[in-house]
Order: sequence, then structure tokens, then C-alpha cells
Amino acid sequence: MFAYIVRKLLNTIPILLGVAILIFVGLNLVGGDPTIQMLGKHATPQMYEEVRHQFGYDKPEIVQFFDYLKQIVTFDYGTSYATRLPVSQMIAHGIGPSLSLAIPAFSITTILALVIGLLVAYHRGKFIDKFVVIFCVFGMSVSSLAYILFGQYFLGYKLGWFPISGYEFDWSQRFEYLGMPIIIWVAVSLGYDVRFYRTAVLEETNQDYVRTARAKGLNERWVFFKHVLKNSMVPVLTNVVIEIPLLILGSFLLESFFSIPGIGSITIDALHNSDFPVVRAMATLSSILYIFGNLLTDIMYTLVDPRVSLK
Amino acid sequence: MKPTSFRFSSRFVLMVSIFGLSACTHTSHEPANTVHLFSVGKIKGLDPIFAEDVYSALESGMAYEGLLQYHYLKRPFQLTSNLAESMPEMTADHKTYTFKIKKGVLFQDDPCFKATNGKGRELVAEDFIYSFKRLADPKLHASGWWIFEGKILGLNDWKEAQAKAASVNYDAPVAGLKALDHYTLQIQLTQPSFQFLYNLAMPFAMVVPHEAVDMYGQQFINHAVGTGPFKLAEYNPNSKIIWDKNPTYRHEVYPSEGEASDQAAGLLADAGKALPLSDRVVVNVIEEDQPRWLNFLAGKLELVTIPKDNYASAITAQGELSPELKQKNIQLIKWTNLDVTHESFNMDDPIVGKNKYLRQALSLAYNQGPALELFYNNQGLAAQGPIPPGLSGYDPNFKNPYRQFNLEKAKELLVKAGYPGGKGLAPIEYNSLSGTTERQIVEYLSRQFDAIGVKLKVNSMSWPDFLAHIKSRKGQLWGFAWSGDYPDAENFLGLYYSKNAPPGSNDANYQNPEFDKLFEKALTLPDSPARTELYKKMVAIVTEDCPWIFNVHRLGVGLVQPWMKNYKPIDMEHTRYKYYRVDPALKK
Repeated sequence: MFAYIVRKLLNTIPILLGVAILIFVGLNLVGGDPTIQMLGKHATPQMYEEVRHQFGYDKPEIVQFFDYLKQIVTFDYGTSYATRLPVSQMIAHGIGPSLSLAIPAFSITTILALVIGLLVAYHRGKFIDKFVVIFCVFGMSVSSLAYILFGQYFLGYKLGWFPISGYEFDWSQRFEYLGMPIIIWVAVSLGYDVRFYRTAVLEETNQDYVRTARAKGLNERWVFFKHVLKNSMVPVLTNVVIEIPLLILGSFLLESFFSIPGIGSITIDALHNSDFPVVRAMATLSSILYIFGNLLTDIMYTLVDPRVSLK
Repeated sequence: MKPTSFRFSSRFVLMVSIFGLSACTHTSHEPANTVHLFSVGKIKGLDPIFAEDVYSALESGMAYEGLLQYHYLKRPFQLTSNLAESMPEMTADHKTYTFKIKKGVLFQDDPCFKATNGKGRELVAEDFIYSFKRLADPKLHASGWWIFEGKILGLNDWKEAQAKAASVNYDAPVAGLKALDHYTLQIQLTQPSFQFLYNLAMPFAMVVPHEAVDMYGQQFINHAVGTGPFKLAEYNPNSKIIWDKNPTYRHEVYPSEGEASDQAAGLLADAGKALPLSDRVVVNVIEEDQPRWLNFLAGKLELVTIPKDNYASAITAQGELSPELKQKNIQLIKWTNLDVTHESFNMDDPIVGKNKYLRQALSLAYNQGPALELFYNNQGLAAQGPIPPGLSGYDPNFKNPYRQFNLEKAKELLVKAGYPGGKGLAPIEYNSLSGTTERQIVEYLSRQFDAIGVKLKVNSMSWPDFLAHIKSRKGQLWGFAWSGDYPDAENFLGLYYSKNAPPGSNDANYQNPEFDKLFEKALTLPDSPARTELYKKMVAIVTEDCPWIFNVHRLGVGLVQPWMKNYKPIDMEHTRYKYYRVDPALKK
């Protein structure tokens, strides 16, 4: 397995290089001109040239690209143009709020979706199965923005159960503010996840080995929980584990509407401000986390499926 | 359906129990006289030299101050002293200003004052020289450099010399900045500038202590060590900033004079009381309209501007408050913004930039009336020129001949332009932002131009891309807005001055030597009938040349809670929160 991990990590180098090219070209083509944003509305051509020089925008594109590669290797993305603070500091400040929202929301969603998915798969074709599937389709059809608007108006303003928006760094109050966004996250994700897990389990129940087990006269519950459940964990793990590292990136929409100072909200602002160092850092970080999530998933496969071995 | 709804609601109840929620807990530790405000944007920092955006400027104004400020109540806007003892003495040639600095003013206590064990030291004239030099520091690229650029004798030379040096030498003298003693600051200008005092009332010119800059370095932007009325208690620039009353703030009092209507409006009830009037100000960063609006309705914010989508529910067709809001004793406040929105022609473009008749025809074909209702809820004034109401040079009786909707005349001008019925004219490339409202405005504009046979080709883009397009002169037409930096028409007419070409404020890149000559002449004159006459001539030139299609001067519409006291709109004064207070008895 060690050799596999090393080989997989080495494989990330060309992938990251490709991602870096895409990010660099994309930002330079349609990312706007950060110098104009920095200098404000009273800029002069001289100021414009001075700032371009200071940040290296007057260098040839290829040199700028190698500077960017150096940033990826050293994890030093420089200073934000908007806040004039080190990007690493901004990320460090944003991770806490993002994870405070994402970890409980993701955990609740996953546990609920797994339980409901298994329950309806076990009772496939019955009323509860049909009802949950309809409910899931309905839940998936409603946009996340509608959940947010409804939640803020009804749960926040009308019922007063939650603060309408805001965030507290103090742990004693943090979850007062995160309650509603967590509920909305769960509501938005639950439909998709329940259907996915239900399908994963049902696919396993149609396999030959299940028919064999039933032919042997094994108890239905034993078949389901001993054989089906274990084997259906492979697609479930794919869905769950790959998302875990990405939780750091937070949620753009929820963080924005609930004034949660997380990574998602910082990224949106960086895009709006042509804040290239922050955008590059976030885009690169996303890629690295995605690759890491893939690797983690591969390793987890070996734990749940003995047929899989990493060589 | 009953079991389902029970299960649904019980899940919410369960969640509520899990998180032990109470929407009001966070207010329990606050002083009763806490003012809750909002910021529509995240705070980029507290260093005054970078206070380009209004949100950061307002936060800087909590802790920092400048020599001058605007009188809170008097209108038209009037400068008055802040850290200066009085308005400055000025030499006959209008080139030298001498300020007496108030004695006994202390910087806020902070660990950066090592010599006094963290006790804030006294403000001296040298602090202003240091702060003004920071604006010129070539390593800092201050957003506010433009307020002094070319104006203070020797400051440009100092900047150039420091740019060549390995490190910036703040001890190197600047001929136009002198501390005659610890309490006397003399500023010598390169030429008379009658806008210079306005510049000194801007956040960029606020004073900072060198000890704080030295100690915090790059992190100075996250600290606030000024002489101002509030002291930073909590700083989360992306969510919430808390300011507490500065215990070492000098004795300043609420004004006792104002407009005639201020007495009846209760704005003089606190006359003579020590500032700041509130014990704490909490500024919540709320970027989205809905949570801002709901927080106000729930009494969590003391004031709000009405979001476009909530306007119809808050204001009746007669322009009055809805009965529901009236019942809550909420006040409706309206004011005129010092601004102008417009469509800019790209004057470098070989088609629209070189054909005056075409620009005039398009201006005549654009009917402002329905647009005011559609996009501004009728809260605006159809602009006839660049100068907004309230400034010298604005003529309420002036009717721009090319902004009186007239399709027949527009068609005639289109013939003169060489494009009868729009024939032979390729679709005009319009740069638009990709937001919903912007797309709606483009639809409206397309329909207007279509009536005379002119087509639009719309390029939707993000804000950064939009700015880059203007800088690189791509596109033929785009929408823009300008909010005044100070109450002088020069700030609006400068938008046509050739030396402000992109990336500066002249986004159309209008170039007219005759206009430039008048503009430069006006710069040498104080506010006077002669200068106003020059302003009118300049307006006449741009009216005829039509580099812009004028849209509106926007009206601000805000709602204020009954317990909020002393709110009077004054966008240009960034230290204004010191006048606000709440009545705790009414807020219960």
C-alpha cells in the first residue's frame, strides 16, 4: 500500500501542473485586472504601472507562471490585494467558521441519509419507500436559495428560533448562529444523499451472491445486514470520503447569506475583487484536497472490500 | 398528511433543542446604550490610507480622526474643525494653511506606546506630517494618494526620492509640511486649491501614530490606534466589529446648531452632551438584502436602507410608510445622494466616439421616466447634467436638450449621423455586469434604442472583467455611477478632465481642450459666482458633446427604529457614529 500511496502522490504532480495551467490561464483571461481594483477610482497611469511592477504583472507571462508554481510548492501565496494580509492568515481565519458549519452539517446529513437510505432500501416498494423517494425528489427540486430565504423568514424572523444571520467565535454561542445554516445544509443535501444510498444498497440486493444467500435459506435480515450492507459501502464511501477534505472550503451561499466568515465567503469576495493571490490559493487548495480525497477513498476501499488491494 | 407534518416539525424542534437556541442571548452582555448597525461589505482593513471603500472608511472613522470634519447637522455641507482647534489661517495667495492642533488630545491606550507603558501619548503636529507622508510612501501604494498628489509642495519629490531608495526615510523633510511647534502644522501647496480642505476631511487624511505602524507592521491594518471616540473591542472584518467608548477621548460635544427643521425632528435634544453618545457600537457585516431587512424588522438593527425587492411592502403607492411599519413607529427618512448614474460612451471608439449626432440621438431615445420607476422605485431625479442637486453649479431649471425623450428628433439626428433608421450601423457593443438588475436595465435600454433602429450587442461580465474592459477601451457603451468624494462640483466635472483618463475617473476618456481650460481655471477660484459660471459653461459643453447619457441622481431611502436617536444622513462624514445613541427605555 505504501508504494501505491507514493505512486499516487507522484501522479498528482502532472495533475497539479495541469490544474495550475488552467487556473493561471483562466484568471489571466477573464479574471479582470487586479491593479485597477487595488488602486480605486482615482488611479493614475503612473500609479497603475508602479503597482503592476511591484506585483510582477509587467513580467512575461511565462515568468509569472513560474512564480505561481513556486507559490504552490512553497505554500506561500503572498498577500491579498484586497485586505493586504497574508493569504495563509486569511485561510487560517476562515477554516474555523467553515468547519464549524460543515462538519456537523455533513455528519448529520450523512448519518440521517444512511439510516433513511438503508431503511427505505430494506422496505423497498412499500409505502415508506415510495413516500421517502417522493419527499427526496421534492427536496432536491427546491433550490438551496429558497431554503435559505424560507429559513431566515420563517425560522429566524417569524418564529424567532434562530438568529436571522451572524456568527460568534465564542464557542458558547457559536452554535446558536450555526443552527439554521446547518439545518438548511441538511435539508438541501438529504434528498440527494438518501436516493444515492438507497440506490447503492438496492444495486447490491440484485447481485448473484444475494440470490445465492437467499436460496440457501438465510434470514433476510442476516442477508441484508451481513452481506448487502458491507458490499454497498464501497459506493457509499466514494460519496462520503471524497467530500471530507473539501469541507474546509465551506459553503459559498450559506456563508454569504448567514454572514459566516468562512473560506467560501472569502473566496467569493476574492473573485469579486480580482484578488488573484486568494483565488489562486483557493483553487489550488481545492485541487489538492480533491486529489487527497480520492487517495483517501482508495485506501478506505481496502478496509471495506477485501477484494480490493492497492499495489 | 398529519404524521408527515408532525415529523417534519418535530425534527426542527429536535434541532432547536440540540443547539439550545435563543436568538437574543448575544445581546445580554451588552450595555443598554448599544447601537447596532450594519455594513453591506466586508471590512478590508482599518488603516485610513487604504479606506477607499465606504465600509472600511466608516470603520476607520470610529477610531481615527482628521483635522477637519463636516458639521453634522448644517446643510449645505459645511466644514468644521475636528482635531484642529479651528478652521486654518490661510495666506492671501491661498497657498499656505496654518492649523492649530488641539492640545491634550490623546491616542488610545495601546501596547505600541512602550515609553508610557501602553498609555496613549499626546497628539502633536508631527503626527500629521508622518501620516501624510504615509500616503505618499511608494512602498505602500495608498488608495488615498490622489488627495495630495501634486498639491503639497515637495511631497511628490519626496515620493520619487523614496521610490529610488532602498528603504523609505520618513525623516527626510518635505518643504510643504512643517511642524512650527508641537501644536502648529503648516501646509504649503504648489498652487491654490479650493478643494484641499475637503481632502483633509476625508478618511485618507486621518492621523495615525508611528509607534503603532512600527510595532504592528503589516498587521497594522487590523489594529486601530487613533484619537477617535471609539476603541476597537472585537474585530472580525468578515462578520462583526465591536467598538466601545474610548475612555480617554477628549471632551467634544454634540452640536447645538443645525437646520431649521432639526429642532422639531429632535436632532438638537442632545445639544452640548459629551460625545460619543453611545457606550458601544456593533457593526454586523450583512452582505445580502434579506437578512439585513429581516434583522431590522426584528429590531436587531437600528436602521436600514430599504432593499429594492422589499420596497413595495414597506412604502405605499403614495410614498408613505406601510401601516405595519407605521404602527411600529418606524421613521421614514429620505435624502438626496451626491451622485449621478450614467451611460458612458467609449470616446476612443471610431464609431460612437467620433459621431456626436449618434450619441445625441441615443441620448434622446432613452426615456428616463419608466426607468426611474422600474429600477429606482421612483426614488431619484432624472439627471440633466453631471452635477447633483445641492452643489454650486446645479441648476434646477436646466433642461438638457438631449435628455428630453423625443423619438422623432432622435431619428432626425440619426439621419444626420449617417445612419438613417439605424441602417449601416453595426450593433453597439454594450458592456454590462451579469447581475439580475443589470440584465433588466440592458433589456430596457435595448428596447429604447430599438425604437430608432439601433441594436445593442450585450457583453455580460463580472465586475473585475468590466473594469478591465473599460481600462483597455473595449466596448462602446456601459453604465456607471459616481458618488461624490466631497461637496464640490469639481469632483463631478473632473470626470471629463483629460488628465483623469483611464485608469482614472474619466471612464469615457473624454478629451476636450476647451473643457480642460475651463476646468483648470475653475480650480484656481474659490466658491463664487465666477466659478459657478465656469461650472455651467463646462456642463453646457458636455451636454452638447454628449459623452454620457445622464440617468439619475439617486435618493436615499432609509428606515429608522423609534429608539434610534440623532440619525441624520451625511454620507461624507465618516466619524458620524459618535452622534448616534439609542433610547433603552423605548427599545424594550
